Amino acid sequence: MSVEVHIAGVGTTKFGVLPGHTLQSLAVEAARAALADSKIPADKIGWVLVGNFVGGIMTGQELLGPIVAADLGLSNVAAIKVEAACASSSAAVRIGHDLVRAGAEEAVLVVGVERLTGAPREALTSAMTAAIDQGTEGGSGLTFPAFWGLVMARHMHLYGTTREQVAAVTVKNRQFGITNPLAQYQKAITLEQVMTSPPIADPILRFDCCPGTDGAAAVVLASKSLAQKYGSPSVRVAASVLVNGPVRITDYKDITTHDGTVNAARRAYEAAGVGPQDIDVAELHDCFSIAEIVDSEDLGFFAKGDGGPAVTRPASERNTKVVINPSGGLLSKGHPTGATGCGQIYEIAMQLRGRHPNQVAQARWGLTHNGGGTAAAVTVHILEALK
Amino acid sequence: MTPGQSLTGSVQSHTIIRVPGKAHAAKAPFVLLLVQLDDGRRVLGHFSGAEPPAIESRVMASGADNETLSFALEDKS
Repeated sequence: MSVEVHIAGVGTTKFGVLPGHTLQSLAVEAARAALADSKIPADKIGWVLVGNFVGGIMTGQELLGPIVAADLGLSNVAAIKVEAACASSSAAVRIGHDLVRAGAEEAVLVVGVERLTGAPREALTSAMTAAIDQGTEGGSGLTFPAFWGLVMARHMHLYGTTREQVAAVTVKNRQFGITNPLAQYQKAITLEQVMTSPPIADPILRFDCCPGTDGAAAVVLASKSLAQKYGSPSVRVAASVLVNGPVRITDYKDITTHDGTVNAARRAYEAAGVGPQDIDVAELHDCFSIAEIVDSEDLGFFAKGDGGPAVTRPASERNTKVVINPSGGLLSKGHPTGATGCGQIYEIAMQLRGRHPNQVAQARWGLTHNGGGTAAAVTVHILEALK
Repeated sequence: MTPGQSLTGSVQSHTIIRVPGKAHAAKAPFVLLLVQLDDGRRVLGHFSGAEPPAIESRVMASGADNETLSFALEDKS
């Protein structure tokens, strides 16, 4: 019989340009906040999982699991790093979830951390392309902006998605970011500013891209009984899914439909016993503005091709109630790659606890979607508020 | 691409890479195409022009740059 798993506590640093911090100091700050939030004693933690993507490339530091555990004062625990590109920490949450669900551990600490600022843009672009298959498509010069540029051009061709609809995603998410104190960008942007920004990988423009970010976020996963014993401010994990998708863009049958997201969503909805129409609030992987449109279709919130028009459609005229990326998303809150998955879970947990600065009224069901590489490692988590 | 081999196909999508990784810095900006080849394979390739051809345009491989095919518009004459 499986154990009911709770997000018993969450913690985070601010996301942004954070000079003077190291991977370790950021990870420890977020982890201590999550442990304090959970009220669960540190000696109950059986595993420490650290999600990180390019710490080795950008800072030269590896072996983050044991280092972070030691800096937290935890000994005699299992401690490892988990890497799944931009989905590293949500993949770690999936592993921690399964350890608790199987009864192997009562509590697991998951920390996501990254430092991406301070390096030249070319170096950051090169580091990110480590998640492109270097044996095949890496030689073509494919970058992640170019991957999404190819997706966007095809989506516009097939469905008539307009440049304005795509830019409206950035405008919407920047607006949410204004009132999220954790966000890297807390200023509004106009449609014109997005559409006249310099091209990066046509039709992707500068303000279609999320920033590179420093930051860390952490969650404490615990059994329901342990969380109740210590009075943790829990939310229930209704589904935790990690699946692979195509690792090369040429493996896609249709680059406007991401199989990893479709499959992860199907499995998550089935496990949770809900559908996309039930989700009140969602944090999606909007690494580029077109990604939110594609993801919102692949998660079933909108029909394929309707994701563009849906961005500016009034809520009263939609068939779904979901509010997408009220944190500001990656476009505004920022994208510290290895930390993003835990950061999304932090945001949804706060929504379901009724404590979010951009609170969605009466939110009961929340969803996170986090993609690594060419949507080659995809997680979907569905969380439920406890009454 | 081997001698005598003719690779033709249609453009599925295109982009112009203006901010490349370090290994391609000297080439930028350059056009990258996703091409559906007539033999059923899907490949990434470069394009001879500064502006990409329209999606669904017919193209043919005109050579290779290391392991990456280079395409030009198909000559129908």
